[in-house]
Amino acid sequence: MTPVSSLASVVAAGLLGLSPVVWSIDINDARARYNYQMFCQGCHTPDGSGYGDIPPLKNMMGLFLRSEAGRGFLVRVPGSATSKLSHADLAEVLNWTLENFAGSSLPQGSYQPYSAQEVAELRAQPLQEIQRTRAGILAEIAAQTP
Amino acid sequence: MMSFFDRLFERSARSVAQSSSRRGLLKKLGGTLVGAAAVPLLPVARADNHGGGMAKPVEQGSDTDCDYWRYCAIDGFLCSCCGGSANTCPPGTEMSPVTWIGTCHNPSDGRNYVISYNDCCGKSTCGACLCQRDEGDRPPYRPDKTNDINWCLGTASAAYHCSTAVLVGVAFEE
Repeated sequence: MTPVSSLASVVAAGLLGLSPVVWSIDINDARARYNYQMFCQGCHTPDGSGYGDIPPLKNMMGLFLRSEAGRGFLVRVPGSATSKLSHADLAEVLNWTLENFAGSSLPQGSYQPYSAQEVAELRAQPLQEIQRTRAGILAEIAAQTP
Repeated sequence: MMSFFDRLFERSARSVAQSSSRRGLLKKLGGTLVGAAAVPLLPVARADNHGGGMAKPVEQGSDTDCDYWRYCAIDGFLCSCCGGSANTCPPGTEMSPVTWIGTCHNPSDGRNYVISYNDCCGKSTCGACLCQRDEGDRPPYRPDKTNDINWCLGTASAAYHCSTAVLVGVAFEE
């Protein structure tokens, strides 16, 4: 089966009329969707809303990109770091998820996509104290917001 | 002055009376009430609401048999033997929103599909059509790919009743 390759362009700050920075990334939509279904959706639910104790991705995960530690957190959590996805596929599904679910939580409506190399370096340092780390990152981000 | 108001209100009241009827109001009001009441009755796809535009699989076999293609990794009672179906829970039970997901090969069209094994919860075990196929099942240290844990997570009750095999999408192949 030949995968349909798709090019997703992310235009940073374009909607807000800020200086136009363009990040261009390759996302194979069919592959990324499949990997989301296989490795994320079971807990995070089909639309990323989460449920109960399972944190939502929808209109939430983009918040983490507001800090360096937060950016690392999305890769270092067990669901990402210990999945059987390759570094390139994990980077792709993270970018796909940000594009499809992060919505209003993205800083200035856009983001710098993850690369396979960045993912490789981050997942080599998996998190131990996940909930405490998460709370600390969210507190740091909340303190930034004017 | 008062006669001016009298004439004004008389004219507007007659104009409303000529262009409408008492039953017309009842008809519109009734339609709105019934329409609003019917909205929650419309069919709602829950776990399988991801497959917009997805190619439909060629179906063969009975969903009350363990051999049915979608049950390749099932371990439990088939909801289709318990008053539900391969996609829906029996009355009185609640589908767990948290689940594990795998793929099954459909021999009728030669394709692999993504299957979500949502459990139905809230009643004691169904007891009918126990199936254990376990193809692709992994040990609990890979929790997102194991059928050995009770997936009644996120439901009001953790009592396991039966298992579904909801079609999520077509598996991606390089």
